[in-house]
Formats: sequence, C-alpha cells, structure tokens
Amino acid sequence: MIRLERVTKSFDGGRTYAVKELSFEVSLGETLVLLGSSGCGKTTTLKMINRLIEPTDGIIEIEGEDIRSRDPVDLRRSIGYVFQGIGLFPHMTIGDNVALVPRLLDWPAEKRKNRARELLDLVGLPFRQFERRLPDELSGGQQQRVGVARALSADPAYLLMDEPFGALDALTREVLQQELHHLKKALKKTILFVTHDLFEALYLGDRIAVMHEGTLHQIGDRDELLKKPATEFVRDLFSRPAKQLAGLKESM
Amino acid sequence: MDSALLIMGLTDHLAELWQRTGEHILLTGCSTFIAISIGIPLGVLLFRKNWLRNPVMGVIGILQTIPSLAMLAFLLALLNKIGTLPALIALTLYALLPIVRNTLTGLTGISSDVMEAARGMGMTAAQRLTMVRIPLAAPVILAGVRTAAVVGVGIATLSAFIGAGGLGQFINRGLALSDTRLILLGAVPAGLLALIVDFAVGAFGWGISPEKKRDRRGSIKARTRPMATLTPFLLLLLGAVAYVSSLSSGIGSGNFSKNTGNTIKIGTKNFTEQLLLGEIMAQLIEAKTALKVERRFNLGGTMICHNALRNGEIDLYAEYTGTGLIAVLKHPVITDPEEALHQVKEVYRERFGARWLKPFGFNNTYAITVRKKDAKKYGWDKISDLKEVAPRLRAGFTAEFAERPDGYPGLHQSYELQFGEVRDLDPSLMYKAIAKGEVDVICAFATDGRIAAYNLKPLKDDRQFFPPYYAAPVIRVEILEDHPELAAILSTLGGVLDDKNMQHLNFEVDGKRQRPAQVARVFLKSKGLLY
Repeated sequence: MIRLERVTKSFDGGRTYAVKELSFEVSLGETLVLLGSSGCGKTTTLKMINRLIEPTDGIIEIEGEDIRSRDPVDLRRSIGYVFQGIGLFPHMTIGDNVALVPRLLDWPAEKRKNRARELLDLVGLPFRQFERRLPDELSGGQQQRVGVARALSADPAYLLMDEPFGALDALTREVLQQELHHLKKALKKTILFVTHDLFEALYLGDRIAVMHEGTLHQIGDRDELLKKPATEFVRDLFSRPAKQLAGLKESM
Repeated sequence: MDSALLIMGLTDHLAELWQRTGEHILLTGCSTFIAISIGIPLGVLLFRKNWLRNPVMGVIGILQTIPSLAMLAFLLALLNKIGTLPALIALTLYALLPIVRNTLTGLTGISSDVMEAARGMGMTAAQRLTMVRIPLAAPVILAGVRTAAVVGVGIATLSAFIGAGGLGQFINRGLALSDTRLILLGAVPAGLLALIVDFAVGAFGWGISPEKKRDRRGSIKARTRPMATLTPFLLLLLGAVAYVSSLSSGIGSGNFSKNTGNTIKIGTKNFTEQLLLGEIMAQLIEAKTALKVERRFNLGGTMICHNALRNGEIDLYAEYTGTGLIAVLKHPVITDPEEALHQVKEVYRERFGARWLKPFGFNNTYAITVRKKDAKKYGWDKISDLKEVAPRLRAGFTAEFAERPDGYPGLHQSYELQFGEVRDLDPSLMYKAIAKGEVDVICAFATDGRIAAYNLKPLKDDRQFFPPYYAAPVIRVEILEDHPELAAILSTLGGVLDDKNMQHLNFEVDGKRQRPAQVARVFLKSKGLLY
C-alpha cells in the first residue's frame, strides 16, 4: 500500500506549488491512474514516491513505513519505474537493459539471464531474437515494451508508470494498453499510472485520481467520476469528448 | 629532387630511422598515456565540481596557446635539464586540453532521459558514472585522445631541439644543413606515423564499441575486435622494441641512456659548423682514446648547450668566445681576442666548472656582407663605406642579429648606419636572398661557405665593432679529472682551422652536400690527426 498524506512540493520556496496538500492511498493490487493535463503535478507526485524528488512537506508511506527512513537507492531498486522518455541505455543490449536492476542487486548471471528471458517473452519480444540487439534497432513501441520489462525485472511489488505510452503513435499505444491491461491482471502488481489521456485512464484504472494545478479534485472509480463529478473541472473533463464529437459532427 | 638520391639517403639512414621512429613512438605514446591518466580523471572531477570548470579549463587552454618551442625552452629553464623529461612534460601538457575537454563534453552531453532512468532505477552516483556516463561518453573521449595523439606526433618533432631525439632529429639536421632529403626523412615518416596513430586509436574505439554486442559469435568481426583494441599498445611495443634494439646494437646516441663513466657526451648547436666541430672532436676522441662517444648533436641554441654542459647532460661542445662573453655571461663587448678568451676562461672555471681549451683558430664573427659585384661597382671595402648609401639599401638579418646588442642595434650606433629596410630572415634563406638580389646587405657568418659560393664580399669591420668569435672546445672539469688525456688530445686541434679552412669545410657540407662525418674524417686525415 502506498499512502500520501498532505504531500506538498514547491520548487520556488513557497511562492507557487507544484503539488499542494495531496492525500490518497493506493491499495494493494490496485491500479490507480493519476489523470491531469501537463503541469498539474502528477509526474512530480510519482517522482516523490521513489525519492527522485523530495517533498517540501507531508508524509509518504509504503507498507506503513515512511520512505524518508529508507535509503533512496534501495527504495528505487524495490520499485519498478517506467519512464516517459523510455530511457533505455543505448550502450547496453536489450538483455542487459532488462537485467540491470538484478545486476545492481548482485543476482547471479544465470538467474539474471533467466529473468530477462522470462520478461522479454512476457512483453512479446522473443528473447532469442532480441537479447543481443541494441536499443536503437528497435521501434518506439518495442523500446517501451523493454522499458516495461525492465521495470518488472526485480519483481517489485509496486510499479510507477509515467505516461509510458505518451510518445507512441495511436495504434501502438492501443496495443500496448491492451497488453498492459492483461498483464496487470496476471501480475497482481500495485500500479500507480500517470496519464493525460482520459480513455487510457478509464481503460486501465481501477480508480482514477483527477489532478489539476497541484491539487486533487476527485478520486474514485469510473462510475463515480462520470456520474457524480465532485467539481466543475471534473465534470468538464469528462464531458469534453462528447462535446468535441458533437462539434465535429456539426462542422461536417 | 632526384628519387635515386632520396633512396640512397634512406638506405644510409635506415638504422637510425628505425631508432628515431622508436623514440618518436615512445615520446608520443608515453605522453599520450600520461595525459589520458591525468586528463580523464580531471575531466570527471571538473564534471562533478562545476565551480572548478572555468578556472581549470582556462589554465589548460592557456598552456595550449604557448608556442611549442617557447614551452620547451621554458621547461628547460625550469627543470635545468635537456632530453626526454622536458619533452615528455611538454607533450603531456599539450595532450591534456583535447582529452579533458572531450571528457567533460562527453560526460555532460548525455540525454537527460537516460540519466533519469539510471537514477530512478536505483543506481548510485558512482554506478551512474561508471556504468552509464563514462561508457556513453567513451566515443567523445576517444575522439579527444585521437586528436591529442595525432597532434602529439607533430609536436614531438620539436623535441629534437632539446635533445630528446625522435624523427625531428632528421628535420633539425636537415634544416641546419639545408638538406631537403634529411628534412623529408624526418617529415615523411612523421606524417605516416600520424596516420598510423590515428588509425590505431580509431581501431581501439571500434574494438570497444557497443556495436560489438551485436556481432555474431565467431564471426570475423567478433574475432577482429579484441585485436583492434590492442593496436595502440602494439604500436607502443613496436616503438619500445625499435628503441631498445637500436640501443643494444649501439647505433647513434641513446637519448634515454645514462652516463656509464666511459662515455663522453658531445653536444653541438644546430648549424653546419657546429656539427662539423662536433664530428671532428668526436672522431679524434674515438681514435685516440677508449672512450665511447655519445653524440647529442643539434641542440636548439646556445643556452640549451650551456645548460646541458652545466648539468652534465653533455660533457663537451664548441663555443665561441664572443657568445660566451655576451650571450652567456652578459658581459660588455671586449674587442681584443686574447682578452676575451682570458675573461671567459676565468669565469667559466669559477662559475660553471668548465674549461675553455685552445681555440680552433678561426673567428666566426658576424660579417656585414654585400654582393662582390656591388662592392666593385661602388668601391665598398669597409662597413663605414655604407654610411651614405645605407638608407637606400635593403638589409636581411637573422632575427637574433636584429636583437642582439652586438648585432644591428650596436652596429647602428657605432657606425651610424640606418638601412632603408630591415627584413628578418632565416640564416639559410639569407644567403639565397642576397644572391637573388632580394636584399643588398646581410649579416653573414665569417666562416660560412656560402660567402665564397655565392660570390659575396664581407666588409672590413674598420671600427672594430664586432667582438671576436673564436671557437674553442669547452669541456667539463669533472670529465677532465677522470680523463686528463682529453685536454692534450683536443689541444692538437688548436689553431688548425683558419677562416678559409672553415669556410671550405662548411661549403663541403652546405654546398656540396657531403655528410659532416665524412668531411670531418677527410679533414682530420689531411692534417695527419687521423690515419
């Protein structure tokens, strides 16, 4: 379980807030989507959870333990992270990229290799074919599959995903969303997923937290958000696609 | 250039070429390796300590702008030593800039996505540096090393000026003797070596490239890469082998060798007459004693020879009384030759532990020289004859003459001479320039063979302005104590060479392209000093 309590982050000494008094929980095995437009503080929130950014105020707990008491390096190795920019290491083979955290954790070579095989097969990139390739030979979609496999490599209980499909074309994105949908059921991970894409949020999230300008507007499952929007912003956000579609029809 | 002549020159010098190439590779290779082992850690340090970047890069940048010769001269003065050490230091300093700058650029130029991933996955700062930044910066760092090594091959040719050997030795000697073949014998292999070094570092880069990870196992590429990685080391090994093998076979001077007690090290400055005097003394000692002679010829100037003598880097060289008095001792001009010799003898013995032996006989003073036909036409015989016409004449002087108090500044005062135009010319160009009519007056050396060869006339120094420049062997007292017979042997050379003789010998080399060793041998035989 991940728990945030009145977490606040200001990058400029308190004049403006990237995240303000944010509180929520991610239950075990749940996928929570942080939904919001760019600059709403969702990525900052994600980074505070593995201490890439330190909060200005508030408490973050994982399994009841304040993360400030954890060594940041150990903490990060225990949490899977899929990056918006993918960030594969261009000088390492796909196999080495996937097995990186196990290597940092000093797993024996054989075990690392087996793990890389298992994961690459899992994300649809046959190990034998891809193990020795370098990242620049792969398409964007394939690279992010590797990114997902890499995040899962040390079998972390928690997975943080920062707009993992944001840079991909619509078709690839859809395929990967579907695969992730199946994957999360099979893996039973606790996932915190950041996106600005409403449909992605609705499709993947067990619950959705809507953020705007650093604050949490509403958190709940899709029915609650659609039927009982808590704020004007949430109502507007969820009715916009229908309006856009209507507008498009009219103009045609 | 006759290609047959070129090849002849090559076969003559093959053994020495092997040695000099070895020295050159060792000089460049060692300095590059030292620069790598300083430069890469320094680059990493600068990457981590932002505030250090500007000051340190500034200093390294300034080092780079110091002309190579000035750097060598400075290190020489600082270390008080000629030979390999100052050359290595200078080369290392020059190699630093490209290596440090490229290390810094390579480390900072890595995509922030990759670095964020490295941090987010739980790499420590040290792991991010060694597992991500340095491997990714490697191609950029290697490009810096490549630049440093190739530039180093070029700069290393200048090390010969301070007796560190290398291919520059040929170039130096060629310049001193205006012998294009010798210059090419140094320059062409140096150029080729630069290409080879470039290739070797490139091959190393190819060998360690991440691309190797996609080579198929057992493929030619996969098998070639480890060998490619070894290329620079093999080249260095080759240099060491060349150097060591030529040492043991006893060819020429070993610039890395130490004095063994039964060796006498003879130095010369870098012009023909000095090489001849060096050879004459060397051959005589070789013939009359059991001593082994180490020739440390072509040192780049008076102060280099002088300091080398003081430090025991050389034991003996020929110096000129006027030069010793004015350039070394900063003493005012003494025009009486006996008095001048007496003066340098005294001071050298007291201050430098060196003894001036009997002069060879000739006086290689500066001579204000004009074309013979002009002298006849206008009735010029002595320097003061030029006073009226000087403003209409063009003078070509060496840079040194234009500056020295016993050169043009003093001449101008003493004779009230003011030439219309004064051009700085290289000594070897000066004679050609007057022969071709590009200048009208030059500051020739009285014993230069080209005075006769180009139909020139030295004018009489009627006001006795120029100090006497009688050449004599200058030898360390210490070596005389170990080998007292040397004084007597070298004294047999006293007075055997007058101005005409010396002009003739110089011309044999400069004009007729004979080798100094050959000319020296013939001369010694003709005087009955050698059989």
